[in-house]
Amino acid sequence: MTVPALSIESVSAGYGDHIVLDSISMHITKGEFVVLIGPNGCGKSTLLKTVAALIKPHSGEIRLFGRDVQKLKPAERARLLGVVPQKVESPMAFTVGQIVMNGRTGSSLPWISLSEEDYVIMERSMIYTDVLDLRDRYFMELSGGEQQRVILAMVLAQEPQLIMLDESIAHLDINHRYEVLRILRRLNREHGITVVLVSHDLSLSSEVADRLILMNAGKVVVSGTPEKVLQAEILSRVYDCELQVQQDPLTGAVNVTGVLDGFSRSSDRLRVVHVIAGGGTGIELYRRFGLYGYRVTTGVLNRMDSDAEAAKALGIEAALEKPFSAVGEDAYKEASEMVAQAEVLVVSDVPVGSGNLINLRLAQEALDAGKQVWIAGGIAERDYTDGKQAAASIEKLLDNGAHSWTNLHDLMMAVKGD
Amino acid sequence: MNKNVESNRGHSALSGIKGVSRARIALFFVATPLLLVLSLLLGASGQGFPDLNSPVGKAILNLRINRLVMGMLVGSALSVSGVVFQAILRNPLAEPYVLGVSGGAGLGATLAILFGTVAFIPLSLPIAAFLAAVATLFIVYGIASKGSGGSPSVYSLILSGVIISAICSSLIMFLVSTASVEGLHSVIWWMLGNLQPVPLQQRFISAVLILSGFGVTWLLASRFNALTLGREMAHYQGMNADLIILGGLLAATLMAATAVSIGGMIGFVGLIVPHVTRAMFGPDHRWLIPLSAVSGGTFLVLCDAFARTVLAPVEMPVGVITALAGGPFFLLILKRKMKNAWIA
Repeated sequence: MTVPALSIESVSAGYGDHIVLDSISMHITKGEFVVLIGPNGCGKSTLLKTVAALIKPHSGEIRLFGRDVQKLKPAERARLLGVVPQKVESPMAFTVGQIVMNGRTGSSLPWISLSEEDYVIMERSMIYTDVLDLRDRYFMELSGGEQQRVILAMVLAQEPQLIMLDESIAHLDINHRYEVLRILRRLNREHGITVVLVSHDLSLSSEVADRLILMNAGKVVVSGTPEKVLQAEILSRVYDCELQVQQDPLTGAVNVTGVLDGFSRSSDRLRVVHVIAGGGTGIELYRRFGLYGYRVTTGVLNRMDSDAEAAKALGIEAALEKPFSAVGEDAYKEASEMVAQAEVLVVSDVPVGSGNLINLRLAQEALDAGKQVWIAGGIAERDYTDGKQAAASIEKLLDNGAHSWTNLHDLMMAVKGD
Repeated sequence: MNKNVESNRGHSALSGIKGVSRARIALFFVATPLLLVLSLLLGASGQGFPDLNSPVGKAILNLRINRLVMGMLVGSALSVSGVVFQAILRNPLAEPYVLGVSGGAGLGATLAILFGTVAFIPLSLPIAAFLAAVATLFIVYGIASKGSGGSPSVYSLILSGVIISAICSSLIMFLVSTASVEGLHSVIWWMLGNLQPVPLQQRFISAVLILSGFGVTWLLASRFNALTLGREMAHYQGMNADLIILGGLLAATLMAATAVSIGGMIGFVGLIVPHVTRAMFGPDHRWLIPLSAVSGGTFLVLCDAFARTVLAPVEMPVGVITALAGGPFFLLILKRKMKNAWIA
């Protein structure tokens, strides 16, 4: 068995006390073209920096072509690994040729001047990336795509065996993006350079990658062919939003799109959801249901409660009681009318005490009327009523057909599914 | 790939990559000696080449040559340290004076002069200046990077540099105000910045220190090129970025502090000269460092010739001339920096 180009063995790393990579492991074979995807802050860039020995891992081991990264001399490391950061800027008017030259001078001894061969390598790198004609232009005057190609040429001049790119193409136009990808693809296919690309563009990634690695919260979620990784179910969970995956039957290209307005277009009628909340536990529910095109009602809430304020700000109809008072008859009746209009009733993870225990009766009413009822799990910790009446009444509700929910995303999917 | 075909035309295709115009370099090396000779013709005792047959003429020429050597030493040290600071801090406004390094060196040197250690140990002056300058640099950098979570911004560096510089000058003022009369005169003269030849031994030691600083920086020249792309990129290029930054800063501080210890507080040379040289020859540090050394020395020698002739027989401190030329230039760069975010 050959040595992998990169092997990461249960590596934990981060900045100070903040752990970003959580005992992550992955292996990349020589000659592979791997795209690393995942939501913002999932640790992709940190992984790159740790592999490049810019960050020292707290634990675990990283091997580049079988050699421990931490023990490699900087110059040796540069011959194995080239890194293209997101954006490179120079405060001085270097020409493109001078920038590319850094790829040769950086890892050679300072008192040795460049040889004929160094210039040949530089020229070759510039031909690959199609920047030879730009060699006398000023680097900072070039367009973003051209700059990125110049940096790529500089990194290629190191003659690395593995190239990692950190969202280097994210801010480019689509034509420049494809241009850089074509170059990478060619380097990978014709010269056997292993490529690891961090990308945000899921569809584009699926076109170029041999293998996708999906990361979330410092761990690998799933790794495999684009078909295996790019599944609506997995992606929706990791990115915590609804995504659709379509495959073009002719080209096989995978297209991942988000959903702009959450409700299905077939029914024009707005669905109504009633939310029982309080103390700020309802805000995210209001926002999500609103985004998905529901009409939201809520109550009973106390005036000046943060949920009441949020409802007011979002223009949500709310049944309100006086501040810091137990829910009274009038407000209850108002809420009860709202529940009658709603199709779904959701109970947030609101703490329940004697003052708002009565709200749970609304849930029973909804159940009796044959509506869907969703109740946040874990009532035991939020039950402040005497004799745990809330827990008892929720247990009864669940027995009578109410559903329990814990994860907001799953709740949205389940409610929408019906 | 066919390597032979490549190498046959490889170099020729990239010969322009060196980026420095040969014609300009040739012109430069013709012009510099001419300007240096010109400076020998100018003096408080009158213009023209001194009469070498008379002992007075010989003495005058000797004096002018000594000042030329002093000017070359101080001017090249200040400009090369400016080049290095600008590269490492990725900041066109960095220079020893603005960063407070000169002020710190001045404070160290003042202490050494006033406490009289210089009289016994000639080396104590540059060493005191160097240690104080290093301390100042780290204080300025530390203050500026507080809260920025990494490398400090242009403006916070300059701000903290100016503040620390001001504190250093007030401390110098305080020391001067409490000094004895004889100490006072030497400190004041030295502070204003002048190129009166210092004792031969001290000049020799300073030359060694400046040359070794220069050697280190020239050796690191290609590293500085990479560092202008940022510490992270330099690291990826296979260099020990932190070591180079530290070494470069120390070498630049050594040069600046030594220059201050023999020439006093001569400002703005480290700012003007690197910029003009960069505009003429490009930013490649392998060329920029030696060329700035020569042009910085020449510039200061000319400023000195000007300083001793313009109000002859009264001699102006050369620091006044460089500051008068440098102040407006500094503002010009600041304006361009705001507009372009990068500098020729």
